[in-house]
Amino acid sequence: MAPQDRLTLDRVETPAATPDLLRVEGLSVAYGDNQVVTDVGFGLRRGESLALIGESGSGKSTIARAVLRLLPRGLGRATGRVEFDGHDVLSLSERRFRPLRGRRIGFVPQDPGNSLNPVRTIGAQAREAAALLGELNPAERKDLILETFAQVGLDDPRRVHDSYPHQLSGGMLQRVLIGLTVLPRPALIVADEPTSALDVTIQKRILDLLSRLRQDLDISLLLITHDLAIAAERADSLVVLKDGVVQEAGATAVVFSAPTSEYARKLHGDVPALNPDRYRHLRDRVRESGPPKIEVSGVTKTFTVEGRALTAVDDVSFVVEPGTTHALVGESGSGKTTTIRLLLGLEEPDSGSIKVAGEEVTGRSHASLRSIRRHLQLVYQNPFTSLDPKWTVKRLVGESLDRFGVGTRQERAERVRAALDSVGLGAHLLSRRPAALSGGQRQRVALARSLVLRPDVIVLDEPTSALDVSVQAGIVEVLLSLQAELGLTYVFVSHDLALVRQLAHTVSVVHRGRVVEGGPVATVFDNPRQPYTRALVESIPAPRPTVANGAS
Amino acid sequence: MNRDYAKYALRRVLQAVVVILLAYMFTFVVISVLPGDPVTNTLRNPQNGFTEEEITRIVAYYGLDRPVYVQLWSSLSRFVVGDLGVSLRSGLPVTRQVGEVLGSTVVLALSALGVALVLAFGTAFGAQYLPRRVGRLLRAFPSLFLSMPNFVIGLVLINVFAFQLGLFQVIDSEGGLATFFAAVALGIPVSARVTEVLIANLDHEAGEEYASVARSRGLGRTRLFLRHLLKPSSLPVVTVIALTVGELLGGAVITEQIFGRTGIGSLVERSVTTQDLPVLQAIVTLAAIVFVVVNLVADLVYPLLDPRVRLGGTTSAARPEPRDLAEVVAP
Repeated sequence: MAPQDRLTLDRVETPAATPDLLRVEGLSVAYGDNQVVTDVGFGLRRGESLALIGESGSGKSTIARAVLRLLPRGLGRATGRVEFDGHDVLSLSERRFRPLRGRRIGFVPQDPGNSLNPVRTIGAQAREAAALLGELNPAERKDLILETFAQVGLDDPRRVHDSYPHQLSGGMLQRVLIGLTVLPRPALIVADEPTSALDVTIQKRILDLLSRLRQDLDISLLLITHDLAIAAERADSLVVLKDGVVQEAGATAVVFSAPTSEYARKLHGDVPALNPDRYRHLRDRVRESGPPKIEVSGVTKTFTVEGRALTAVDDVSFVVEPGTTHALVGESGSGKTTTIRLLLGLEEPDSGSIKVAGEEVTGRSHASLRSIRRHLQLVYQNPFTSLDPKWTVKRLVGESLDRFGVGTRQERAERVRAALDSVGLGAHLLSRRPAALSGGQRQRVALARSLVLRPDVIVLDEPTSALDVSVQAGIVEVLLSLQAELGLTYVFVSHDLALVRQLAHTVSVVHRGRVVEGGPVATVFDNPRQPYTRALVESIPAPRPTVANGAS
Repeated sequence: MNRDYAKYALRRVLQAVVVILLAYMFTFVVISVLPGDPVTNTLRNPQNGFTEEEITRIVAYYGLDRPVYVQLWSSLSRFVVGDLGVSLRSGLPVTRQVGEVLGSTVVLALSALGVALVLAFGTAFGAQYLPRRVGRLLRAFPSLFLSMPNFVIGLVLINVFAFQLGLFQVIDSEGGLATFFAAVALGIPVSARVTEVLIANLDHEAGEEYASVARSRGLGRTRLFLRHLLKPSSLPVVTVIALTVGELLGGAVITEQIFGRTGIGSLVERSVTTQDLPVLQAIVTLAAIVFVVVNLVADLVYPLLDPRVRLGGTTSAARPEPRDLAEVVAP
């Protein structure tokens, strides 16, 4: 059965004038007085894929929404020309455009977790997509839905059909959403960061699924992403955006191997997957020798969840040498966060021992934990929530000095300034509040806050996952320079293997609470022994090596 | 899930029963410590012509000379089997007296609730989907309705529809149209709160990602409203309705007076002025029962409506709070 056949009406209307399925010319979008996209143009041919690459604020998602005409009502105003299959999208009335939406242009959203109605079953929402195909009867619709769910790799289509969104994992929900999108057999899919909310191994599977469906069903793909490596791996041509303006565009192989614009070159240099050895000179400096800084041995922690015992951390052991970086790598729910909570003394392990600089962390009183914390600091994942919005930078960074009563007032002010300086922030920011700082500046403030007590060990919990790659590169550089300079020891929690490869010396791969593999980064990554490690390593996007891969 | 739900429901029902019993006891104690003794006052009224000896005998017969806790115990044990005593005024069983007027009040309150819901959903839909200018006007309705007391609305309605247009007879106070207008008077202020919550929730849900993803599947705005936004936005309304029962009951007392209806309102008025304590005790208990039952129903229904609610803990189901009213103001 070929559902396109039911859409003959659209076909008759379609003049086969332009070879491009989607053609964008001189597109500008403004929210009120705020111009976010300026004079953007590109073309996407039938059956091909194009990636819009840019960091936050580059206008890439706005372009996607303009193509689908889903800009917020009354706020977003698009001018220029968007031509889809001969239709002038921007000038069509909503009534005339609606038949295209869903039927001819599908949309895969960024965060599957909030993209389905939480109080309706998956099946009820799938029937809406099936209803777009017209006169199928209910039984046929259901068959089609179950068939599509199987096609997108859902193991138990019937269970999925009867479930509510909160009963499924993020990866399954994204498969459902992709299924709903391809079900009416659209000619074009717009995918807005389809994997950025998912774990790395799932990310690869979802991207593989999209590529496969694209080939099987002859669908064009407009991929929106911040990740140059993913774009280069998956798209025939690239459009690099910055602040709503196209910086560079062309076939993937050309843009990727010989970027001409300065921004594209910088982006290329900042993506960890493409530059595994970028920080080698900083990473491989001579380290301090001495006894291990951190010794975790045989630590186990069990929680009780709804009456069932759940072992979050199961017999975990690792050792970190002074002045090195140890990475804890794993997907969400693997026990990384619990491990560092144990390390920081925020939770008590059920068994095992944790030593920091030779001193036992577990089984201490609050007071003696406090003295250890001076030497053991934490930088949180999200700088947008970890800084009190009402406090100034000066107070944020100086708080722990005040708490521990370090030095005179003047000395404290001096140390705050020195800490800011060491993370590359000027003294003019001292009186600012977090709202007046960018994401990268905020994370630098968070880093300065942990540096100000001159700790030996800093635990970094996904410190860059909320930041853009170019900002991430800046933070990573600061971290590594500080390590080289002060001999700091880092415990680095991350799911981004490419990043880990850039900056860590040793690594523990955590899976379901257990360390499945550990050792020097190069050894583990080049010769993974465990299937889980291999899956993780394979999930690092690998850009296509040669020219003319599908781009004719 | 189902066993969890059964356990949850049982626990909530038991809690409700305990609350009702406590409410009964509390009312009894409060009434008994109030100054003034209506019973002996009545008996001592010279018109009744009882001798002091007869009075003592009557008081002893009804057990009114015994300590309060003994009286409470006997009263409570009669309450449990549905015996609310005898009216001091009429000598009729209280249950019968309340039963006679209850129906009329229930009809009024339910119609008022119906009016309130129709108004609220209509206004909220209009505020979202009519042209901006009309929508903005509709958003002003809740605060307007909230600031109009039901007796003012009632008087205006009577003046316009009964006296000027002659649509219903003030004398035939139980007639269909008369009941309808009484329900409108009572329902308008109640609708204000429901509308506020509904508009705020619709705005919130319409801005959620799933709404634009549903639109990207080709859904029109009306279908989006009916199929996607209506249900999640209506869930907090269950909470609001449970909270407005008090308003409905209190408002019914006033509305009944204005429209000249016999109901719980007129019974309350009579029994307060005549210090008919058994009847008062019964009415206060009835109000408590209504409150508890309505909230119990809300608690029991909620998990069935919202699949995300997790059952557990000892208190009511984790019903989300209605969205902050401050959010309503912003256009």
